[in-house]
Amino acid sequence: MRSNANRAEPRPLLTSDAAAPADALSRLVVPGDQQLEAFFERLETVELLPRSAPNRVRLRREQGVGVRKIENGKSRLAATDTISGPAFAACCDRVAGTTRSIGAAPPRIRTGSWPALRLAEIEQAEARLTRAVNRRRVGFPMEITARRHRRQVQVIRSPIAAPPQFEEYFSLQVTTPWGVWGGLLPSLADEDLDPVALCLADRLRSRGLPPHRRAPGVIVLGPNAAAVLLHEVVAHALEADTLGLSGAPDQVVGLKLGGPELDVVDDPRSAPSACKRSSDDEGTAVVSRWLLRRGRVRQPLADLAWAERCPSMIPGAARRASRHRLPGPRTSHLELLPGTIPERELFAEAVGGLYIREFERGNLDPFDGRCVLRAPCGRLIGASGPVDHTGPIEIRSRAVDLLASVTAVGDRPLAGGAGWCAKDGALLPVWARCPSIRLEGLQVAD
Amino acid sequence: MRSLRLALGAVRERSGASGAELYVKVGNTRRIEIDPWTTPALTDPADLQAQVSVLDERGWALRAGGASRALFLADSGPLPRPNGWSRLNRHSLRPGTLRLPAPSSEMTSRTAPSPAAGGGEHPPADEETAGLTFLHEVLRRLGERAPEARLIRGRLDSGASAAVLASTTGVTGRTARSLATVELDFAASRDGRHGHCRLYRAASNLHLLSADSIASEIAERLTMATAPAPPFLPAGEVVVSPALGCNLLALLAPLLRGRDGWRRLRQLGAGSPLGPPRLQIVDDGGLDAGWMSAAVDDEGVPTRAVALVRDGEPGEPLLSWEDDGWSGFAAAGCRRRSGWRALPELCHSHLYIAGGSEPAESIRTGIVHGCYLVDRAHDGRCLATFEPSTNGGPGRLDEGRFEVEAIGQVVRRGAVLGEAPKVRLTGSVRQLLQGIRAIGDDLRFLPAPGAVGAPTLLLTGLQVEAVG
Repeated sequence: MRSNANRAEPRPLLTSDAAAPADALSRLVVPGDQQLEAFFERLETVELLPRSAPNRVRLRREQGVGVRKIENGKSRLAATDTISGPAFAACCDRVAGTTRSIGAAPPRIRTGSWPALRLAEIEQAEARLTRAVNRRRVGFPMEITARRHRRQVQVIRSPIAAPPQFEEYFSLQVTTPWGVWGGLLPSLADEDLDPVALCLADRLRSRGLPPHRRAPGVIVLGPNAAAVLLHEVVAHALEADTLGLSGAPDQVVGLKLGGPELDVVDDPRSAPSACKRSSDDEGTAVVSRWLLRRGRVRQPLADLAWAERCPSMIPGAARRASRHRLPGPRTSHLELLPGTIPERELFAEAVGGLYIREFERGNLDPFDGRCVLRAPCGRLIGASGPVDHTGPIEIRSRAVDLLASVTAVGDRPLAGGAGWCAKDGALLPVWARCPSIRLEGLQVAD
Repeated sequence: MRSLRLALGAVRERSGASGAELYVKVGNTRRIEIDPWTTPALTDPADLQAQVSVLDERGWALRAGGASRALFLADSGPLPRPNGWSRLNRHSLRPGTLRLPAPSSEMTSRTAPSPAAGGGEHPPADEETAGLTFLHEVLRRLGERAPEARLIRGRLDSGASAAVLASTTGVTGRTARSLATVELDFAASRDGRHGHCRLYRAASNLHLLSADSIASEIAERLTMATAPAPPFLPAGEVVVSPALGCNLLALLAPLLRGRDGWRRLRQLGAGSPLGPPRLQIVDDGGLDAGWMSAAVDDEGVPTRAVALVRDGEPGEPLLSWEDDGWSGFAAAGCRRRSGWRALPELCHSHLYIAGGSEPAESIRTGIVHGCYLVDRAHDGRCLATFEPSTNGGPGRLDEGRFEVEAIGQVVRRGAVLGEAPKVRLTGSVRQLLQGIRAIGDDLRFLPAPGAVGAPTLLLTGLQVEAVG
């Protein structure tokens, strides 16, 4: 059953003419290397906790504006938790360091109404997930916390206003007697809850099993796990600020990181329908960006500041966790293009190996390139495919070794591996679409 | 306060809630981030490639409801006027419960802002200059001590906040705080060995942070992290610095709060003392000069010092007002919000092991053959497990174990034999507490979240092994 909730986009964040703040910003700009932008933001999180919790329904709303000036590589941000003409003018004064920097009268800025609450679809999540779990012929106690996140953004970079952006997605946290599962979903429809049920059933069957410590031979990663691996060792590794820690980011272009079967793209325009973006958090139009083309680095992720430092880089990948944070280059929607190998053949040549459906955590050390991936459970691969369950698995390896060990890419990409990216403490939702992949001869780091 | 009372009246009238509470918080933060890729040695702080953010935060939270229906609503910006609650109606309350504390006789006399609130002492421009100068000084002094150190991340936040709350039960409260935090992440390579160091320090005022001591701490940690592993690690005596002691105490926090924690703590002792007679573990929401210090918590309940472990024995549990009188113990103000968006939760504010009388220096130099562990290893493990397995079965607390990966030195009769870049310290929670042989006089607080404090400690009976 698909969700039939009304998914019409809300009214624009700014109902007043965006030209007014754009005009005000242009009065601030001094000729030269100065750039100014205004970032208007509105967030809403509706949270439904388990029945035992007090204050079961929690509604959090916030809105505000951040004005940023970039000059000679230095930026100055002033942000406030109100959207209004005087608040905008006060931010402009702070970045300019003068009073009445945009004139005596602040621009007229008005905001649209909040979208309808639509609590019913969140209230149905528990029953739907329970049914999805029962369809797997298992049942166990679950405490479910469901959240719906909405974000509206309007960026005005003097003198142009980028198209307003709207994102809506859900997060679930399921507590069972043997652990907690958490993740992001584009909707609470059955087709998105079924994979969650599959993961929960796997965790049930592997509960209490000791950690799997045998050295990995062949490993098959399902789409969810492959997405997390690529997020860590391709997306994070190719973010300009990560590259900047160990050298000149543009020198990495052309470097061979993996085999020719690896074609990896970051394309915010093809994210799940309610999370698509046409412009980034600096107001730059997003592009379909080849991160790896036939295993070689093509175009790292960059924002305006990095594109200014390294002219060969293309901006359009800037993301910011909130108006109170500076933007940085980040992935939004990662895609591994499908190969030609049917999924069953991936398993046929992996008998005796391990199948990992999901990683619950990944981490890349930006300085030495070591990566740690943790799976809550796995399955041994037999002649007929995944069979016996195993306990938790931890893979420690260098990013380059992980990519070099990819020997086959499946032919059936699936949306999955969505989650919160917490780099530098800035929590951002990330999406992915990947087929299964096979790793062989993985070098394990200390 | 009058606007809050008017708003509470409007909320009750529109929603039909029997009780309601409003919490309003405003704050300002000045953040300075240094670009790691452009930090050569500079002569002028103004040349530092820094990103400056000036952030004004303002928000409020409403809790309303009664025995069977409740609502939590948080929003940014100023509190709506009494006629601005038009969207609220009787259907806004959903199944749930709301309980609010009743006013205490102590409250009215103790609602003044804490003495720590001194955020407005310096003009904003001076604060920014002081922040840039501080970061420049850290980099300059570190450059002198460890020229190979490379900055990965540098961030300085300084600011102040004030909150006010009122409820229909008559509770009111005001708190005000100022805080400066510095977060520095450095890496270094020596002879092909890579090492990292992450330092997070806080003070109630930027001017109380010392650039020289922070640079010294980073240089010391990088030296240890890039040293070759020692051939042998003596396991007899382990001295842990205040920084590592804070990490160990933070691991034990679940034992030291609430009714469940108290039961576990009592089981841990199981008839014998938890630790040496001079062991005192305290949580004090109103600690003099503490960063989190306030006369009342975020529900308006008066704070006080709670001796969780007194003279090596379980003292009293940290209980919120809802558990007041449980097993004969009195509650303390200990429910805090991480911000205006959050509901109050039971947590520590200043959790610390009280300093002893023995000079820390004499504990360090008194090591016959053992290790002096300085801090957590970068990205090293730091965990405690209180359950024997993850299958949901009831755990026995005496099986509760901890594991910390640390950096330090191997010491023999006061002389440093060599550095230890990664050491794994493990044992049971009971061994950790009962193995305390000496408590130093150098109590120091670190941000945890909240504030956790510990002096230098001499520990015995734990397992020590080299990692890597």
